[in-house]
Amino acid sequence: MITELVSSTVLIGILASGIRLATPYLYAAIGETFGQRSGVLNLGVEGQMLLGAFAAFYLVFMTGNLVLGLLAALAVGALMGLAMAFVTVNLKAEQGISGIGFYLFGLGMSDLLFQRMLGTVETVSGFSKVNIPFLSDIPVIGEILFRQNLLVYGAFALVPIAWFVLNKTTLGLKIRAVGENPEAADSLGVSVAKVRYFTIILGGMLSGIAGASLSIGLLNVFQQNMTSGLGFIAVALVYFGGWRPWGVLGGALLFSMVNSLQLWIQVLGIPIPSDIAVMMPYVLTILALVVTVSRVRGPSALTKPFGREE
Amino acid sequence: MQDRLNSLIDLLLPVFATLAALLVGAVMLLFLKVNPITAYSALWEGAFGSTNALAETLVKATPLLLVGVGICIAFRAGVINIGGEGQMVIGAILGTLIGLNLEGWPGWIVIFLALLGGFVGGAIWGGIPGLLKAYFNVNEILSTIMMNAIAVQMMNFLLRGPMIDPSQAELASKIPQTARLLEAFRLPRLVPTRLHLGAAIAVVLAILVYILLWRTTLGYRIRAVGQSPQAARYAGISVKRHIVLALLFSGAFAGLAGATQVFGVNYRMITDGSATGFTGSAGFNGIVAALFGQLHPIGTIPASILFGALLVGANKMQRVVQVPSALIIALNGLVVVFVVSSEIWRERRQRDRLRAAAIEGEADASGPSPAVDPEVGI
Amino acid sequence: MKSYKWMTFLLLIALMLGACAGAAPTEDTTGAPDEPAGPFRVAVVMPSAINDLAFSQSMYDALLTVQERMGGEEKMEIVFSESMFVVDDAAAAIRDYASQGFDLVIAHGSQYGSSLQEIAPDFPETAFAWGTTLDTFEDQGITNVFAYEAASDQGGFVNGVLAATLSESGVIGVVGPIETGDAKLYVDGFVAGAQSVNPDIDVNVNWIGSFSDVALSAEAANTHISAGADVLTGTAQMVVGAVGVAEEAGALWFGTQADQSSLAPDIVVANQVYRWEVVLEDVIELVQSGTYGAKSYRINLANGGEEIVFNPGFDLPEDVKTLAEDTIAGIIDGSIVVGGSAAEAQTLPSFEETFRVAVVMPSAINDLAFSQSMYDALVTIQERMGGEEKMEIVFSESMFVVDDAAAAIRDYAASGYDLVIAHGSQYGSSLQEIAPDFPETSFAWGTTVDTFTDQGITNVFAYEAASDEGGYVNGVMAATLSESGVIGVVGPIETGDAKLYVDGFVAGVSSVDPRIDVNVNWIGSFSDVALAAEAANTHLSAGADVLTGTAQMVVGAIGAAEENGALWFGTQSDQSSLAPDIVVANQVYRWEVVLEEILTLISEGKYGGQAFVIDLANGGEEVAFNPGFDLPADVQALAEETIQGIIDGSITIDLGG
Repeated sequence: MITELVSSTVLIGILASGIRLATPYLYAAIGETFGQRSGVLNLGVEGQMLLGAFAAFYLVFMTGNLVLGLLAALAVGALMGLAMAFVTVNLKAEQGISGIGFYLFGLGMSDLLFQRMLGTVETVSGFSKVNIPFLSDIPVIGEILFRQNLLVYGAFALVPIAWFVLNKTTLGLKIRAVGENPEAADSLGVSVAKVRYFTIILGGMLSGIAGASLSIGLLNVFQQNMTSGLGFIAVALVYFGGWRPWGVLGGALLFSMVNSLQLWIQVLGIPIPSDIAVMMPYVLTILALVVTVSRVRGPSALTKPFGREE
Repeated sequence: MQDRLNSLIDLLLPVFATLAALLVGAVMLLFLKVNPITAYSALWEGAFGSTNALAETLVKATPLLLVGVGICIAFRAGVINIGGEGQMVIGAILGTLIGLNLEGWPGWIVIFLALLGGFVGGAIWGGIPGLLKAYFNVNEILSTIMMNAIAVQMMNFLLRGPMIDPSQAELASKIPQTARLLEAFRLPRLVPTRLHLGAAIAVVLAILVYILLWRTTLGYRIRAVGQSPQAARYAGISVKRHIVLALLFSGAFAGLAGATQVFGVNYRMITDGSATGFTGSAGFNGIVAALFGQLHPIGTIPASILFGALLVGANKMQRVVQVPSALIIALNGLVVVFVVSSEIWRERRQRDRLRAAAIEGEADASGPSPAVDPEVGI
Repeated sequence: MKSYKWMTFLLLIALMLGACAGAAPTEDTTGAPDEPAGPFRVAVVMPSAINDLAFSQSMYDALLTVQERMGGEEKMEIVFSESMFVVDDAAAAIRDYASQGFDLVIAHGSQYGSSLQEIAPDFPETAFAWGTTLDTFEDQGITNVFAYEAASDQGGFVNGVLAATLSESGVIGVVGPIETGDAKLYVDGFVAGAQSVNPDIDVNVNWIGSFSDVALSAEAANTHISAGADVLTGTAQMVVGAVGVAEEAGALWFGTQADQSSLAPDIVVANQVYRWEVVLEDVIELVQSGTYGAKSYRINLANGGEEIVFNPGFDLPEDVKTLAEDTIAGIIDGSIVVGGSAAEAQTLPSFEETFRVAVVMPSAINDLAFSQSMYDALVTIQERMGGEEKMEIVFSESMFVVDDAAAAIRDYAASGYDLVIAHGSQYGSSLQEIAPDFPETSFAWGTTVDTFTDQGITNVFAYEAASDEGGYVNGVMAATLSESGVIGVVGPIETGDAKLYVDGFVAGVSSVDPRIDVNVNWIGSFSDVALAAEAANTHLSAGADVLTGTAQMVVGAIGAAEENGALWFGTQSDQSSLAPDIVVANQVYRWEVVLEEILTLISEGKYGGQAFVIDLANGGEEVAFNPGFDLPADVQALAEETIQGIIDGSITIDLGG
């Protein structure tokens, strides 16, 4: 039965579903990367995702307009980011805990709105699969990579963009400076507050899209707590990726591929208890880091609020 | 006198912040066409209104306090432990295993061994991320999140397989639960409510941890590592070993919380597929309680009670006015955000005071350090 | 939008304070009820126009009839506010009428309820009537509100029987506004009636989402006709558009609420007409004798409040008309039961005081799965017992924290609820602690068969579903429908009700063809929608063309199945609405069966000690076919044989696997 795992159907299946599973992680984790590079740990990603998912779903449900759905997710994510920025930058609140607070708020609020405004589980027609001409016809690779919906492509396109912004632009330089040494950045005339506001709001918007990628992209339903821990995994993947977009991509793909592998293991009837199979992605993610013992150092000012001495 | 007033105001700050959050909640209640006064009097009633309500609050506060005390240790060493959920689960499993396999032994010995088992189980589950961080540079936020998921699946596997209640194994429904603990093996009740000895144990341990952190060399070293790893290294303290120890202790207290939940409240383990069903999110909420208590084991005692009261009272409110339970979760989120935001005023007041008092010895021997300053990712 | 509402609310409060101050004295002078000289003054507020040939008109016509019977305008004055679709405006109107001293103010629209709840207490000398509902707010101490509603499913059933008999194409179209309330009740009855004549008939229902969009209702009718429908029906005021289209196409039409024959005399066959007179006459009599509310009415065919009016201009064959009259007589004498299973016939015990039920559930009441199955059953029972005044339901949902659930159960018991339901097997140990402390409270616990009697506890009922039975039936159909020979299953954790269902499903599949691959995926979570979807995708890549799954997170899997055109079998609740094209059938739990037994036992003074298992035989489990899915007749026959075989014991399910 183990040999069945290497058949082409299975391999293509694992890779294609790995790509889909990775999509929400990528949006959320790239957003979180920006935040952490500027020195802000946001544990509220899950709450932002849920509110984004609901907002997008609701607008698509009411209007059928996918663009409006995406805009709603962006707007709601931005609002949540704005609140988080105010609390952590201006009020200098402990970041981890405020994140947990925003997570709980998003979890409850999205469910409350769902119950009051929809009432029951509904479906919408969300983003459908777009076969990219020519590329989708390439055997194997085409099937894996180029027969997905727009939001999936968007997530992968985001990785090089984020890398470019962080490493090749002045904005990226400012973000990194603020995360490494806010005092120095401040003395060079960079507004620490402004940069952090920017990254937190951006992170919120991307988390909102991450939610939308589920509710109007991959699943086309909304249900209470539909992300069920996905946002926290996304935060973990930022650490896995060593605060670098390409590393985050690697982590998201590894985690998702192993997750789809364990789904296949069960489907093929390989006799491993289901709970042990479900454990696999979590165990392997840790093991991967242990094996590749990295010496990446995180942003020095992470979780530290910044304020000039009066 | 002035000092006492100041610390009283500091202590009450979270209460004021909570009230402010509830005020926002009142507006939400009005949107749901619910009278906020009815709702909040139900909340108060449910948290403090009767002996039973008060006992329920304390029962809820017990795991929060234990987890929170562990969080104090971890944060003081500069590590963030968000693996409390998994540590509680593993502690509970180990404790339950002991409780189920020592039939015929004297009750108090079994209880002691089981709680110790919980302590050890949590220590293992917290120690692993510690080792991973110290020796493999695996960030503890990542590893604790992953370890939570692993613990849950282990629990599911054990409870529906090897550890399943023998009477369930024969039934078609096969409820994933262990057998029930013998009556002699249960934590004694303090008053004729659900309040059990675990609450008292938690308070005693909170005091002991305070002594550990501020009255022993080990505690001093843990705090030194948290304040500045470089300085600690120069002083000849092994940063790695103390990080492992801090996470280990932090996990151990969470594990103990898990074991007391089994031996004091549920009398068996049971799973609904998630950790929350068993822990009630105490592994997360304990972090919040510790922060409300200003990362001080003693401060965590009232903070846990406040937070426990809120959780218990909010559930009562849901029942009385029949608002969706989602509102309660959102409201808790608001309380957390408001309380953590209110810290700034405490810090400002403290800074003013420090400025006023010119001389300053060791600032945190008597009170917590002014800013939470955990070094993440050494 | 919300802030607007909020401001209106404030404004209302201000108005209310003002009105209270001003209204009280006026009322004393004009509102004196026992002045025989003046006419009986009635005001009615309606959501649409009085001549809408539908809901509003049915009330206005009834008022005119009553007025005539009472002796004209001198005896009874009627004023109305029509097209009050803005609820706030309607509230203002109701308050205004009340302060003017009208004897009876009718709020003819279920959306007016919450406003009425605010207003009625301020005018204790004024009688209000509210419909369609059964809630008189009596439980909130309000005693001057009457409530009325129509058993519109009864007339719908009769229309459905006629429609199925007259349809030649075997396709019937329905146009409705929003799938709720009176409209849903009518359509449900209609579908049931049509299927009672011909189970294979296609009844396509189109909910257009609006009460007013005439153009859209016309378009919906056009769609039905292109799909081959030769008989149409519809409810609410916007259907006038649909009637026009039907007339043009020569399709037949069945009306409801008011007599619509005049709209298209050639094609309207019959109408269910509401005769609110039945309600109004009793209300007026009560008001005149000093009773201002706290009574609810339900018009139906038996009490004359509903009537089937045949269009005299339509030449209905005599035998069809006889069939219709037999159906009406059957509904009246109870030999035909509309709405739900035959279990409805069982009489529920009656309690002197409101029977109070509390239920604690692990997920949300609208999870389309385990929790919803219980909540729906409670609501059904409540309705059958006579509404909220007969049975109170409170719930704690999403109680996945066992400890919190325990606190809730204890609290409900301490607050004096008659029956506390712990709807989750994980609550058992807590219940074992709590039940002995409240010997006068009855508890029910599921899913399990353990009532703790061996531990001397006598006040706990237990219930469980033989979910393997419905699983088996689903499995038989799945195996027959699968072309690829691969079937996928998505489950939460491998235990309990979920495992039982899956085992039954697997047994059903292999009874048809043991070579079929049934791949089972346990995703380890009850909530991870995304992983459930991906598990379904994995099954699909592995070649599965039929899927099933259990627990609330499977909504994700259904979406994946729909996208790929794979078939789906549901369990626990009816999931057809989620993906109408691919859901074949659902095993639906009807906990009503258990609740009926429990209520009866409680009324006899027994508080527990008995375990119930719902299955196909006792009607507690039902295989609900998705009416929107075109199931081949032979497969449906096979499914029905299988159900029959399980019921009579000729099929035994082997859970060996």
